[in-house]
Formats: sequence, C-alpha cells, structure tokens
Amino acid sequence: MEKSGKSKKRLTTAKELSRIIIEYYQECNQARGMGKPVGWMPPMNGGIEIFYAMDLQPVFPENWSPICAAFGLTPENFRVTEEMGYSRDLCGYLRNINGYVYGLMKNGGGPLGGLPEPDLIISPGAGCIPVMKIFHIMEERFPDAKVFRADLPQVAVEDIREDHLRYAVSEINRLIEFLTEATGRTLDRDRLAEVVMLSDRACALWDEIMAYRKSIPTPFSAAEIGIMFVMVTRQGTQTAVDYLTRVRDEVRERALSKIGVIENEKVRLFWDNIPPWYNMGLLNYFETMGGVMVAETYSAAWSLRLDVKNPIETLAMKSLMSYPMVSCVSIKKRKEMVLKACREYHIDGAILHSNKSCHPITLGQMDIKRALEKDLGIPSLVIDGDHMDERNFSMAQFQTRADAFMEMLLQKK
Amino acid sequence: MRSKMVEPFVEIVRNEQAYLTEIASRGKAIIGYFCTYTPLELIHSMGIVPVRLTGSSRQTDKAYSLVPSFICPYVRGALEKGLGGEYNFLSGIIQGYTCDAACGIVNIWEENIGGKLFYSMPLPYNKSAASGEFMRARMMDLVKMLESIGGDFQEGKLRSSLELYGEIRQAMLDMYTMRYRGSLPLSAGDFLYVVLAGFITPPADYLAMLKTLVSTFTTTATRKPDGVPILVSGSIIENTRLFEIVEDRGGRIVADDLCTGYRNFSPPSGSGKDAVDALIDRYMNRFPCPSRSRVLERLPHLADLIQASGAKGVLFLFQKFCTPHLADHPVLARELNAKGIPSLAIEIAESPDVDGQFMTRIESFLEILK
Ligand code: SF4
Ligand code: SF4
Repeated sequence: MEKSGKSKKRLTTAKELSRIIIEYYQECNQARGMGKPVGWMPPMNGGIEIFYAMDLQPVFPENWSPICAAFGLTPENFRVTEEMGYSRDLCGYLRNINGYVYGLMKNGGGPLGGLPEPDLIISPGAGCIPVMKIFHIMEERFPDAKVFRADLPQVAVEDIREDHLRYAVSEINRLIEFLTEATGRTLDRDRLAEVVMLSDRACALWDEIMAYRKSIPTPFSAAEIGIMFVMVTRQGTQTAVDYLTRVRDEVRERALSKIGVIENEKVRLFWDNIPPWYNMGLLNYFETMGGVMVAETYSAAWSLRLDVKNPIETLAMKSLMSYPMVSCVSIKKRKEMVLKACREYHIDGAILHSNKSCHPITLGQMDIKRALEKDLGIPSLVIDGDHMDERNFSMAQFQTRADAFMEMLLQKK
Repeated sequence: MRSKMVEPFVEIVRNEQAYLTEIASRGKAIIGYFCTYTPLELIHSMGIVPVRLTGSSRQTDKAYSLVPSFICPYVRGALEKGLGGEYNFLSGIIQGYTCDAACGIVNIWEENIGGKLFYSMPLPYNKSAASGEFMRARMMDLVKMLESIGGDFQEGKLRSSLELYGEIRQAMLDMYTMRYRGSLPLSAGDFLYVVLAGFITPPADYLAMLKTLVSTFTTTATRKPDGVPILVSGSIIENTRLFEIVEDRGGRIVADDLCTGYRNFSPPSGSGKDAVDALIDRYMNRFPCPSRSRVLERLPHLADLIQASGAKGVLFLFQKFCTPHLADHPVLARELNAKGIPSLAIEIAESPDVDGQFMTRIESFLEILK
C-alpha cells in the first residue's frame, strides 16, 4: 500500500474544520493591519485566555507544524534547517518551524497566508527542551519582538502544591503586567472572567464529546482528532464553544443511533504519542480489518475544568497541569491516564508510537506497555516513527507488524 | 603516557563500583544524580553521599528493552548498569530538571529498579525574588525527603558543606588557570580523570587528594606547552581516550565548556543571608548550560574562555541525541566562525569509533588550525 496521506473523516463537523482553520489564520494575518498586536506562544497554558481577554492575537508555532505537514512543506523546511547545520536528531517541530521562519516565511510564502511576524514572544522556561529552544530561535529570528521570559515549575501533576501554584500565579500576573506595558492595553477583569467561562465551557464540551467515544460502536475515531485545533488555538472564544457544540450534537446523534465509524467494529484500538502529521491516514489503516482507533493519549490534555470564580488562579493551575505533560516530570501520571482511557473506552489493543521526534512522550512507553498487559490484559504494538519526519518511518515495516497485530487481536476475540 | 600523579584518581574511576559499595557497607546512604544542577552541598550536609551516575561503554541490551534507541548513550549506559545491579547501593536519584532524557530516565529507574527516593526538582529559569523563594521551597522539600531516609539538616552543617565544595571548585579553577598559562603538568586525559574521580569520591577525601596532587606539581617538571590550543565544548565526556587522541595528534586542550569540566566548577560558591540562600545563589548564577539558558547568553562566556586560554579552535563533543547541545550548536558555530574561531562537531555514539573516523576528523581539523 502506498502512503495513505490524509485521514478519512466521517463527521460532517470535522469536515467543517478546514473553514475554522482558514478563518483562524486569516484572523492572525489581519491582526496587525487592525492594530492588534500578535504574540507567538507555546500551547496548553493560561496565556491564551489572557491574550483573548486583552484582545491580542495568539499564534502557536507548534500548531503550524501539522499545517506544514498537511501541505507537504515539511521536507522543504527540514532542508533549510539542515543546511543551517541542525541535526536530524532534533524534534521535528523545532526543525520544521526553524526551516519555515528562515525559509518560506522570509520569502513571504506559506499556506493560509503564512504566519504573521510576532510583536510579542512568550518564551517558556518550562516544558521540554525542544519547545524552549524553539522560542529561543524565534527570539533571535525576530529581534524587534518584545520577549516575555516565562517561568513555570516543571512539576508532576500529582506533586502540585500551594507554593507551586503561588509561583505560577505570580508568573501569570507578571505576564499581564508585561502585556500591559508592551501593548498599552489593559486587562478588563470582567472580560477575563467571560473568557475563562468560555474556556471552561469548551473543556466541558470536550469532555462530553470524548465520553461519547466510549459508546460501542464508537461514533468517531482518532482520525477525526483534528477537532482539537479549536482547543489549541481558540480556547476562551465563542468560536470554540459554538464549534464544539455542533461537534457534540453530531457525535451524540451518532452515538444514540449507534452509527459507528465503520460498519462492523470488531477491534477497538488506542493510539499513544503524537500522530504522524504527514500521514494521518495511518489512523484509518486498521479499518479494513475491523479495527477502529477509538482513543488517543493527548486528547486528555484538554480534559480539565476551570474555576470561573478565580480566573487567575485557575489559569495558573491550568498551566501547571497541562504544560508539564510535554516534559518528563512524571510517567506515573501518563500511565494512569492511558490505563484509565483504555479501561473506559473498552480498548482491545494499543499502538505505541515510538516517536523519534519526541523524547518526553516516548520515554516511559515500555512501562505503559507492561502496565497495560499486566493490569488490563491489553496487548500493545510498538511502532517506530516520527510525528514530523517521514524519513524515520517505514510504511512496509508498519504494515507487516500492524497486520500481524490485528490478526492476533481478532483471534483473541 | 599516564602520569603517576593521577593514579589514585584513575584507581577510583576504574573501581567505582567496589569503591562505592564499600562506602555503602559502612552504613552511608548514597544518592545518585545525572546532572550537576543537583544541590550536592545540601545532600552532603545531611550525611548522605551524592554520586554522579556514569554511563557505560558496553552494549546496552537491558536498557534497550525500556528506552528507545534515540536517547543519549550516557543516560542509557547508566540505566544499563542500574538494571544489571551495579547501582544496588543507591538509595535513589535526585536530579534538577535539566534535560528530558535524564529526567525521563529518573522515572524509568524508579519504575524498574526502585529505591527509596526519586525527585526531579523543578528549577526556576529566571532570577527574581519570586523564583528564589520558589527554589527555597524546593530545597526545603528536598530536606524533608532526605530526612525520610535518615538525613539530618543543620544550617551549620550546610555552611561547612558549602565551604568544602567551594574549596574543591576553587582548587579546580586554579588548575584551569594553570592550564591557560601552560603550566599545568597534566595531559587533558589525565585531567579528565581528576575531574571524573570528583563525581565519585566523598568531598573531604577528594579535597585531600587534590591537595596532594597540587603539591606534587611543584616538584615535577612543567609540561611543555606544545600543540594547537583548542577548547572542548559539549555535554558529558567520560572517555579519556578521546582527549588522548586529540593531544596525540598535535592538539592541546587548554579550556573546556563541559559538564565534566568547567561548567561544574564555575562559580565556586555563592553568597546570601543564610546557607540555603548561598546555595541557591550559586545555582542561579552558574556558568550557563544549554539545557537552562539561551545560546546567545552562552556565547560571551565561551568567548571569555577562548580569550583567557588562547584557544584557536573549538571542538564540540556531543553525546548523540543530546537535544540541548544539538539545538545550540549551529548558532554557536556560526557566531564563533564570525569571530574567526573555526569549530568541529563530533557526536559520541555508544562505542565511539575512536581509532578510525574520530582520529581522521581530528587530524584534519588540527590541520586547519595550524
Ligand atoms: S513535547 Fe515533544 S513534540 Fe513537543 S516540542 Fe517537546 S519534544 Fe517536540
Ligand atoms: S548528555 Fe545531553 S541528553 Fe544526555 S543527559 Fe546530558 S544534557 Fe541530557
């Protein structure tokens, strides 16, 4: 089989996503023209709500990587980066965005109008090493941007205590001060409360949508997970709430009418680690044999409710809980999440993507594999790959191993 | 030729396991660490021996069943030794959050080898009053943890430990100064043995060894400063053979930016209103490591070292897959080049093909510098 490219989507609302993506990047590109400062920042932290509340435009370079992959631009971006002397062993997100900002972007190119240059850079001191280095590169590439050096405790969720939170709160306050000074805009506390409320509604909807996937047959699969775009880029906006409401309605409808992803769902699968953005069709691979990718690890990152009454604290807490997931602070927590999901989603087998581009999410997979087998009797298949770099993935090898794994799971049934 | 003076250091490095097992058999708790951003002084002051985990040049078959092939050989080698029972004397691992690989291994170690105490300590990236306070709270967490394995915290003892480690670092920095002047009578390979032994030996014993070593310098003929002066920059280097090759082929290592080197010693100590503050102060003002700083902030420090030592070129030696170093390298190389300092980067794989490719590449690099 040739590379399958794009994933097959069954939800009408998932097909609607391309419009949402186009609109978001349009908004990013029009922002400066409308006098709205643009800030580049890492995802999964409270900065996004602060930005929307202050009417600033957040841009997420990490999210740009899947877009480049979908448009087939990654090889060109990698080429630029490698020519600058960067090692092929570095995370593909770093190699992609570096290549983009020094290549296509300099020449005014890129899909969806490209990325607008930043007026502000929120440079994290937290998370994984590649994400920090990505932002250091951006600081250098855009010397005119004002830089906020953020600092967030790299603490395991199970170890968060009062004073970790206090430090995170002081950092959020510092961020607000920085933004006020840099942009001359002030933060309206009522507006922030509203944004946090919208953000929390998106989380609630997200949880609801994810819960419907527990139905047998599952109403949608990991191949549809692009819907998380709104959680990454639109948290705290009405757009996210409206869109997720439509997704929820459709998913609920399908679940109640027992409309599955495929006609005869035989085997329910779980995907661990970031998907191969250049070949999302892989997530549909098992369908011809009756296997559906029911759930995946990273969707849990958005499963967290916000306390609308304490906006600053809750955003600090959100940052503390979500952001360290992209570092190596705790394997325990990830193991717990995967086991819980596999139990709740009635999983028969797990695909563990050993992802050369991401050390933090890959380290500990063997412990997860063992726990799945021991505690839940769920077998898993480890596949070698990379979420950005196709050269580190072999379709032929994947096929052989995936087919054997499926046969084994079918026999067990 | 190995100098006789460094034999005691070589002895400890070569017999690490027996040496540490013996210490443990005297009832001492031993805590391991990967990265030098671990508050050794605090651990030591509480009566616990901090020991840097070392890699292994052997096949890492056991470790491969737990970690992917694309993790730096250093931490994979250490894990292999742990899985083989070579670190059974450890009570656990304490590690500042530096790189993803080391902290990932701490988790895997806890799951698969076990021990009493595992802690990846969050360290602030900024220097501010709030971050100092945050770090203080983490130090206090650590005190509690160490108390649970029999440690005893006293401010006075911490002060003594700070002094002891400060003295060691100062002694090492003095040797660096001699090296810059060309009056250090040790080859780079021998000097690395001295450094490596310091990660294993309890500090009071180590300081005594250093003093003995330095006292022999005056009676020994000064090493002739020949060869092309170069600075070595990179992650952890454990294989002294690499340095021997460089110097055999006509290079002379005059300075370094290594965590098995200068980064570990500079500055020797910190200051503050009490001992904990002084400890924090030093960690916040350390010679910058790529895992915790920006490349352009490292550059002036490197430039200073180059100037002080008279290095004509920079040899980057990285552990393969080492993200913090690999991510900084292109900018460093470019900036050094702009200053007229050529550089060469070599990645160290599991069992470096030391005698083949390495040698050839070093030779042609030295050729350029001559
Ligand atoms: S979490 Fe993984 S994928 Fe994301 S930037 Fe870090 S290493 Fe890369
Ligand atoms: S060599 Fe690099 S990857 Fe390995 S532990 Fe050190 S900093 Fe981390």
